[in-house]
Amino acid sequence: MSRTTEKGVEILFFCSAFFSAFLTLALFGFMLTLGLPLFAEGRFFSILIQPWAPHLGHFGIHPMIAGTLAISLLSMVFAFPLSLGCAILISVTSKGWTSRLLRKAVEMMTGIPTVIYGFVGIFLLVPLVREFFAAGSGMCVLTASLMLTLLVSPTMILFFCDSFERVPVSYGTAVLAVGGTEMQRFLHVTLPHSWPGILIGFTLAIGRALGDTLIALMIAGNAVQAPGSILDSARTLTAHIALVFAADFESLEFKAIFACGMFLYLLTTLLVMAVRLLGCKRKRWAR
Amino acid sequence: MMDKTVKIRTENLCFAYNGRTILRNSSMDFAEGEITAIVGPSGSGKSTFLLILNRLWEAIPRCALQGAVEMHFNGRYQDIYGRNYPVTLLRRQVGMVFQVPNPLPMSIYKNVAFPLQLKGGVAKENVRSRVEECLRKVRLWDEVHDRLHASALDLSGGQQQRLCMARALILRPEVLLLDEPTSALDHAAAKGIEQLLLELKQSCTILLVSHYLDQVSRIADSVVELNNGRLVRKVEYD
Amino acid sequence: MRRVLEQVVVHFSRLCGIILLGAVLTVIGYLFVHGWSSLGLSLIFGATPPLDALLMKRNVFNGLFPAMIGTLSLVVLAVCWAVPAGMAAGIYLAEYAGPKIKAVLNLFFDIMAGLPSIVVGLFGFAAAVFLNRKFSGAIHPCLLISSLALAFLVLPYITRTTQMALEGLPLSARMTALSLGATRLQNIVRVLVPQSLTGIVSGIILAIGRCAEDTAVIMLTGVVASTGVPRSLLSHYEALPFYIYYISAQYTDSEELATGYGAAIILLCICLVLFLLAFAIRKRISYYALYRA
Repeated sequence: MSRTTEKGVEILFFCSAFFSAFLTLALFGFMLTLGLPLFAEGRFFSILIQPWAPHLGHFGIHPMIAGTLAISLLSMVFAFPLSLGCAILISVTSKGWTSRLLRKAVEMMTGIPTVIYGFVGIFLLVPLVREFFAAGSGMCVLTASLMLTLLVSPTMILFFCDSFERVPVSYGTAVLAVGGTEMQRFLHVTLPHSWPGILIGFTLAIGRALGDTLIALMIAGNAVQAPGSILDSARTLTAHIALVFAADFESLEFKAIFACGMFLYLLTTLLVMAVRLLGCKRKRWAR
Repeated sequence: MMDKTVKIRTENLCFAYNGRTILRNSSMDFAEGEITAIVGPSGSGKSTFLLILNRLWEAIPRCALQGAVEMHFNGRYQDIYGRNYPVTLLRRQVGMVFQVPNPLPMSIYKNVAFPLQLKGGVAKENVRSRVEECLRKVRLWDEVHDRLHASALDLSGGQQQRLCMARALILRPEVLLLDEPTSALDHAAAKGIEQLLLELKQSCTILLVSHYLDQVSRIADSVVELNNGRLVRKVEYD
Repeated sequence: MRRVLEQVVVHFSRLCGIILLGAVLTVIGYLFVHGWSSLGLSLIFGATPPLDALLMKRNVFNGLFPAMIGTLSLVVLAVCWAVPAGMAAGIYLAEYAGPKIKAVLNLFFDIMAGLPSIVVGLFGFAAAVFLNRKFSGAIHPCLLISSLALAFLVLPYITRTTQMALEGLPLSARMTALSLGATRLQNIVRVLVPQSLTGIVSGIILAIGRCAEDTAVIMLTGVVASTGVPRSLLSHYEALPFYIYYISAQYTDSEELATGYGAAIILLCICLVLFLLAFAIRKRISYYALYRA
């Protein structure tokens, strides 16, 4: 390969990296430009507080913010202990081939499509919830959170397992050498040393939960009001975007979904920064 | 005595790696057609010094070099750090064998032929004959000629190191740098390598980093010690 | 007291495992129980003879064939855009970028990876609007736009796996070819990338799975419920995951619902097969890249 061809290929590598980064910025730029009419009269902060009632001229996304937070946080309440428990099962409680088999099963679970969870949710879980609680339609925050738990848990479990494995073996052998059990080694050495990794896994899972569209769209009910209880129907920002998309493009209603997009973008950026800060803490911890 | 040409001239070298100074204002000449052993305390930077002679330190982060290195190629002294001197050309003229054998994860044949493929412009028949020539030189041909397409990683440690030498020799380098080439080998394999170096010194200037003083006394023509950042020539051997 | 805590944790972990596995098996089992009866050639090809449908001689009206072709086209196109760009960016980050540039670019790729897929879909839609106004009125949400948006969705995964695979190689692996007179690019292409193929190809296969299952992006960039096999890059198309979503909301009788179950089973099988492929292919590709003499 001649020098000029080599130089050309290297420039191509450079351009790919920078163009991709540029697209990320362009995305935000598009959201901003297309959502601008909505912000024109200084309505920016009112968007975050007002309710959603387009016929009254209210384009607030506050109910959707509440819905997103409610569903995501509730699913994390279920998913975090579940994932931690499963990670402990794979790393500590089970041994040898059972441990490997379980881990393979969890890895395969990460490949299950989201729409499948939504589909089964509608026809299996919703009626169950409706009958069990004898209230509402069954399409509520609780149902969506339960399915979301199944969605985010496998990745979180794998992340926790990797965090446990990264703790140097030498730390734990001291416990075993004085007659401690594997569980004692885990509780006294591995767990305290992997907290930064656990927090990172938790943050990444929250990001996944906040960003999900289909599950909330299909089984959370989509009522445009902030949920008062876990049996209330709710709408997430993501589902809102999908639903309002059917409206007329020129209307202010439509522009509001770009505001949702921007809000989600900023939320993602915050979470990424949080993960980075925790990552720095993990490096310091390791030393 | 002998009036040999100086093959390598280093002047006022200052080299630091990761904040640690390896060389302080050190100069040394290396004569052509000789085996020069480089000895010194553990961790003094002998291996790193070799990396200066083929500019391989540039692939390592957090290194800094000052000073000049010249080598005698094509009838005159070339500044190997000069802007116009292609580093790829230098590395074809200066071969290197590492302490731990590092065959590429390819077949035996492809390993030895690899430098020719990188250089390009060598006909297939020539490649085949050169590979055989080099494998014979390192006494590996008889052991591997019937399994040239087997993985190089299946060879024993001694065989792998001889393979790496064949690979370094296929470009017919004028200078050969060896970093403790026998430290990972057993006694018999080590003797084989030493024998090979004695045969090679007629066509090659050889610099050998070694911890084994008996090895040094067996094959080295001159000895240089790296201590405290300085290169010092020790007693000349006959 | 300590012993009690340990016993509790052990039992808790077992309980969690049972709950998770039980839940997932229930989901999958429910699908199979209700969809099993609908599986068959008529699910895919409707009333049209399979051979005619495959050779594109006749249209399929009541089958999943158009949706399957739509999903296949999406995946192939998205991978064509994303793999070269993603690998190139990953190589740049691992081999050429200085520490400050690397930190900034890594931040952008992390954000890209964390974006909700519906926001990526919105980006695709906005880009289509932009192109429509600036260039040609013929450009509207279609197969091309969807594949580009999906490529944007999976690009960070491919870049990251390439970058991590290359950075994971030890220093000695990097120096070997350089010491033999290789240029930087020769080193990367002939030695470093072949040695990292395991990780890179796994990343690509997982990206394929992501493209096959995604619904949010395609909802905003051109997928429709019924239009037949995509005629060109600029036409609307159908896709399996969208079909499943659409049926769940709009089914009119139990037969239609059964096709939804059938489609769900097919999609699940496709994704799981791709996943298993990730393990099977990895080692074979590394072998062929390195050992052919």
